[in-house]
Amino acid sequence: MMSTSSRAFVDDLALRHLDAAYNLGRWLLGSEQDAADAVHDAYLRAARASDTYAGGNERAWWLAIVRNCCLARLAARNKEKKNVAIDDNPVAAERWMPRADADDIEERLDSSRRRERIEMHLRNLPETFREVLILREIEELSYREIADVLQTPIGTVMSRLARGRALLQKALTDNGTMEAPHGL
Amino acid sequence: MDCKAANDLLPLYFDGELDRATSREFEAHLDECADCRTTLIELDTLRSSLRKDAPRYSAPEALRSRIREEAAASSARQSSRWQRPRLALAASWVIAFIAGGTTLAVWNHASTAGQEQSRLTRDLFSSHWRALAAASPIDVVSTDQHTVKPWFAGKIATAPVVRDFSTQGYALIGGRIDYVGTDRVPVLVYRHGKHVIDVFVLPATAVHGSDGPVQLQGYVLEGTMLGGQPAAIVSDMDQAELTQFRDLLDTSSRSDNTLGDR
Repeated sequence: MMSTSSRAFVDDLALRHLDAAYNLGRWLLGSEQDAADAVHDAYLRAARASDTYAGGNERAWWLAIVRNCCLARLAARNKEKKNVAIDDNPVAAERWMPRADADDIEERLDSSRRRERIEMHLRNLPETFREVLILREIEELSYREIADVLQTPIGTVMSRLARGRALLQKALTDNGTMEAPHGL
Repeated sequence: MDCKAANDLLPLYFDGELDRATSREFEAHLDECADCRTTLIELDTLRSSLRKDAPRYSAPEALRSRIREEAAASSARQSSRWQRPRLALAASWVIAFIAGGTTLAVWNHASTAGQEQSRLTRDLFSSHWRALAAASPIDVVSTDQHTVKPWFAGKIATAPVVRDFSTQGYALIGGRIDYVGTDRVPVLVYRHGKHVIDVFVLPATAVHGSDGPVQLQGYVLEGTMLGGQPAAIVSDMDQAELTQFRDLLDTSSRSDNTLGDR
């Protein structure tokens, strides 16, 4: 059975956090169309499951559904193409990453260039680390919320976040993309 | 605080996940440790690069209008009761518990009672799990009630009733001081099997209104009275264990009162 209130609750929830959902999907799937389709799947699934929402953080509940739909799509896509996603193979990812020319390091990078670099390095991170970074640094979710989205203990969130930050910092400094640290 | 401990707490501090008392200790360490300052600055640099340069993709208009249409179609089908959901929409998770009728009804003298209430509940839960995430959930480690009570007495106005229930399976393991809103409150820490139990002894002005537990992500908060003061028990025990523990607290604080009368 589906009550009016729970369905309307899901409608409102999905629309309020649609950018967050799409951003997560876009970073996980890498394509506009796939991200939009996955978010729409998630909306339908959430509407069907609206009566099973048992309290707790509603944004985390919604993003957990979005994430599951994205992972399902990723799995299907990988199976279909029978090739290994770059995410699943960090070694390949590292090899694929272009090394910066010595000149580039000296050179002051313009902002579009810096953007490309950050995006590339973020994309090259294994998705378990990429998603915690997106949820924490861009969506600004708390540890508890991230744990709910990922359905993992908070300790796992903390260790993935630490590892993800370290990997990204390393990639950026190796490539000289990082701005000089400024004082706090 | 040594560098090792500070290093473990550093990301928690950076992410705003540390309770205020520990944050202050951490900042004291930061003042004298250049290495930790550098690490913190690096984390901050990474965050600002990400926020500045990693695009936050906005949902395409087509997706938004598609969902809006489907939502409108569904609400048109069921248009009879339309106000109630809007109420639920405004609700944060905390208010959802209040709507469920199970919460500590406290601070209802305040004009923004709902907000204050939700803040209290949220403070209690977050204090509990932050303490779990920190290196140690306790400031004074002791299984001896005669050590824990005097430790509090030196730090806050009213030291709480402290009892050990290790023979019943709920061992006192220590205490800490935490913030609930702007109040410093004593927290008694017990252990039952693998569960850590926090007992927050709340200011006497907090009016305890309901007897049902509040659940959140596998954690349970239940109100009780401890030596005449309102208190809140937070842990991840199951309901039966929680009830047993609350009864123990109740019984002990009641027998204290009886003794006091004699």
